[in-house]
Amino acid sequence: MEFIVEKIGMSRTITVPSQPVTLLKLVETKVCEVTDGKAVVAYQNGKNRNKAIEGKQKKYSLSAEFNKFMTLEVANKEPGDLDYSVLQSAKVIKTSFNTKGRGFSGVMKRWNFAGGPGGHGSRFHRLVGSIGNAEWPGRVQPGKKMPGQYGKKKVTVKNKIMSYDAENGILAVVGSVAGANGSLGRIKVEK
Amino acid sequence: MRNRYIENFEKKQLAQKSIPEFRAGDTVSLAVIIKEGSKTRLQNYEGVCIAIRGEGTGRTIMVRKISANGVGIERIFPIYSDSIDNIKVIRRGRVRRAKLFYLRDLAGKKARIKELRRK
Repeated sequence: MEFIVEKIGMSRTITVPSQPVTLLKLVETKVCEVTDGKAVVAYQNGKNRNKAIEGKQKKYSLSAEFNKFMTLEVANKEPGDLDYSVLQSAKVIKTSFNTKGRGFSGVMKRWNFAGGPGGHGSRFHRLVGSIGNAEWPGRVQPGKKMPGQYGKKKVTVKNKIMSYDAENGILAVVGSVAGANGSLGRIKVEK
Repeated sequence: MRNRYIENFEKKQLAQKSIPEFRAGDTVSLAVIIKEGSKTRLQNYEGVCIAIRGEGTGRTIMVRKISANGVGIERIFPIYSDSIDNIKVIRRGRVRRAKLFYLRDLAGKKARIKELRRK
């Protein structure tokens, strides 16, 4: 079963040893259409609206706030409000978020290359350096670590559930999850 | 202001805790629970609180004392942690700042803190 969540932030417990905790808030989700356990769901994110969205809202008779659509594995058999009851007994979840985007980054930041000496006229500071051999093989090996877009990539981790507050829809999981506070991601119940 | 959901989560844990109110400059005594094999005992640590940091469950204090051989010792304690049995305030100090790191450069009579007179 999958759910859409918002990352709220981190805290810790006062037990010995103390445990790091990430708080996730369940985003209000409406199930639109169910086919074999998979469903088209709608949720709210921002105010983006266009004719395609309006058309879908009309089709599923949704209110104007629900402007984003996604496919999830759900427990529901019928369209309506999402069924959260699975979370009461869940122990482990898989949490998927986009990591923080760091833009186009060099190899020192992106791949932890050591870099060159700072001084003594070395003229080699943060460069990539050699990217391979000469005539043989005559090409760069696939997967060579080079500068490029760093972050903003989906990362999935397994987390144990510490507590679930059904009233406020707050899920406390042990450990950290990727992404910035306030970003949306999805969780999948493992056990 | 902190996020109310985080505050709620921490409030639940701190509900049973009763920590006296104190500030930087106060002399405090902490009883730290120490586990040795199967036995547990309490170890007292007394000194001047020179800094309070953090919010909620992560709140820590820095306690400075001068050891028997004249060497300054600073320990940082998470005050709401279950590893702290109790905290007592022994003396209220009159200081004019929140962080007393200047005490590190002072010794002997200069490093004294006047007691706070209550009106």
